[in-house]
Amino acid sequence: MNLRILFVDELKGFYKSKVMLILWFGMPFLTLLMHFLNPDLGELPVSILVALLISSIGGTLSAALLSTSIANEKSHHVYDLFLVKPVSRYSILLAKYFAVYLCLIIATGISLITGLIIDTCTSGSLPEYIIQNTLDSLSVSLAAMSISCSIGIFFGILVSSVPVAVILSVYIGNQVSAVSILTTTFIDFINPSMFSIIIGVITTVLFIGISIIVFNRKQF
Amino acid sequence: MNSNKTNELIEFQNVSKNYKNLLALDKISFIINKGDVFGYIGPNGAGKTTTIKIIVGLIRDYSGIVYFNGKDISKNHYLIHKFIGYHPQDAGFQDWRTVNHVMYTFGLLSGLKGNVLEDKIQKTLDFVNLLDERNKKVKYLSGGTLQKLRLAQALINEPEILILDEPLSGLDPSSRYQIKNLIKLLSKQGKTILFSSHILSDVQDVANKVGILNRGKILRIGTPEELQNEFNIGNEIEIEYANDNEIFLNIDSLACIQTIDKLASYKQVLHLKPEFNLDSAINQILSFLIHNKSKIRNFRTIKPSLEDVYLKYVKGDNQ
Repeated sequence: MNLRILFVDELKGFYKSKVMLILWFGMPFLTLLMHFLNPDLGELPVSILVALLISSIGGTLSAALLSTSIANEKSHHVYDLFLVKPVSRYSILLAKYFAVYLCLIIATGISLITGLIIDTCTSGSLPEYIIQNTLDSLSVSLAAMSISCSIGIFFGILVSSVPVAVILSVYIGNQVSAVSILTTTFIDFINPSMFSIIIGVITTVLFIGISIIVFNRKQF
Repeated sequence: MNSNKTNELIEFQNVSKNYKNLLALDKISFIINKGDVFGYIGPNGAGKTTTIKIIVGLIRDYSGIVYFNGKDISKNHYLIHKFIGYHPQDAGFQDWRTVNHVMYTFGLLSGLKGNVLEDKIQKTLDFVNLLDERNKKVKYLSGGTLQKLRLAQALINEPEILILDEPLSGLDPSSRYQIKNLIKLLSKQGKTILFSSHILSDVQDVANKVGILNRGKILRIGTPEELQNEFNIGNEIEIEYANDNEIFLNIDSLACIQTIDKLASYKQVLHLKPEFNLDSAINQILSFLIHNKSKIRNFRTIKPSLEDVYLKYVKGDNQ
C-alpha cells in the first residue's frame, strides 16, 4: 500500500525533473535530427540507433539522477520524516527505482516510435527484420537502463558525497550495463533479447538487494 | 516484557547508545506521563537528538528498553508510528514539493485519505497559519515557515505524543514567538509533548516537567519549580534606595549575606547564603535598614531561575 503511495509520489517528483524533460523531448528531437542530418549509418535502421542512444544517454542520466537524489536526500535528512511513518525502508528505494524506470520506458517508447515512423517514411514500408531488430534493441536498452538505475541507487545509498556518488554511478553503471549490450555483439549464438534480460534482471536484483540491506542497517 | 503502568506513555529503562568510541547515552532512565510537556534540555552534543531518534525508531541499535504505552518500541515500531508526530531538528523536504503536497504525502502515509485527508490538511495548515502558503514550493519558504511546516506534518495524524527536536533553533524572535505559542496551544489541548532545546527560556514557561541531560547522562528530572526549590543555590534580594541615600556596603556584615553587587549608586543586589532561611534573612536585612534609617524605594526577592539551576548542574557535571 505504502509502496504505491511512494511510487506515485516519486513519479510526481521525477517526471518534472530536467533530466526527464531532456529524455522525453530531447531524444525524439535527436531522432528527427539524425534523419535530417542523414549520417552514414550503413545498414543500421534509425530505430535501432535510437535504442542504442537511449540506453546509453538514458542510462547515464538516470544513474546520475538517482544517485544525486538519494545522496542529497540522505544529507538533508529527508528520510527521517518518511521513516517515522508506517513505511518500510525497502519501499522507499523500490519506489524510486520503479518511478525512474517507468519514466525511462516512456521516454524510450516515444523515441522508438519516432524512429520507426522515420524508418517507415524513408523506406515506404516497415520490413519485419526492422521490427525484430528494434524489439531486440529495445530489450537490450531496457536491461541496460535497469542496470544503470540500480547502480545509481546503490551508490546513492553507499556514498555520502553527491559528486562522488554521481561519478561512481555513471562510470560503473556504463561499464556494467555495457556487458548486457556488447556481449550479444561478440557472441553469435546468444539470443540478444534473452541474454540482456537475464543479465539485466540478475544485476538489478543484486544491486537493489545490497542497497536495501545497507539502507536497512543504517542508523539515522 | 510489557510495562503496565497506565499513565506512563514513554519509559526509558537504562538506555545506552554508543557511536563507535563515543558514549552518547549512558544508562538513562526517565518517564513521560500522558499529558506531560517534557522539556528535554542540555548543551549541544548532550544526547538529546539520540534519545529522540530512539523513540521515533530512527536509531534501533541501543541497549536497554524503551516502552511506549507499555510496549517495547524495538519490537513494535510499526504499531507505534501512528501514535507519534515527529518534528526533526533539521529534516528537509524535496525541493519540488509544495506545502500542500508535503501535507498530502504525509497524510496518505499516515493512513488518511479522501475528504478526511483534505479536511485534515486544511485544519492543520490553518492551525500553524500556513494556509496562505499552501501552494508555495518548499524551496521558497523561509526558515520560520519551514519549521511551521515540519510541525504541521507532525500534527497531520493527530498523534498521541508530539516529539519536537529543537523546534525553535535558528529562528528569528518573531518566528520563535509564533512556534512557542503553537506549542503552548497544543499543550493546553492536552497533547503530550516532548521537546528538546539547549535554550532554557524556550522550556521555562512551556514545560511542566524538565529533564537536564549532559554528556549522555540525565542529571535531574522534575518540575521547573521543584528544580528551582530543591537546588539550593541561594536567593537574591534587590534593594533600591532614594537618590540621596547611598547604598550600604557594610550590610555584608550580616550573617545571611554572602556577597553584594552594586548595580548603581542607589541600587544593590544581596546574594544570600544558600543555607540561610529566606524569611529570617529578610528580617535581618530589614532590621538593619530600619535601624540605619535608610530610604528604601524598592525591595524584592529574586528566586534562582531555571537557567541558574541548569548552569549549576551542567557546570558541576563538567567539572
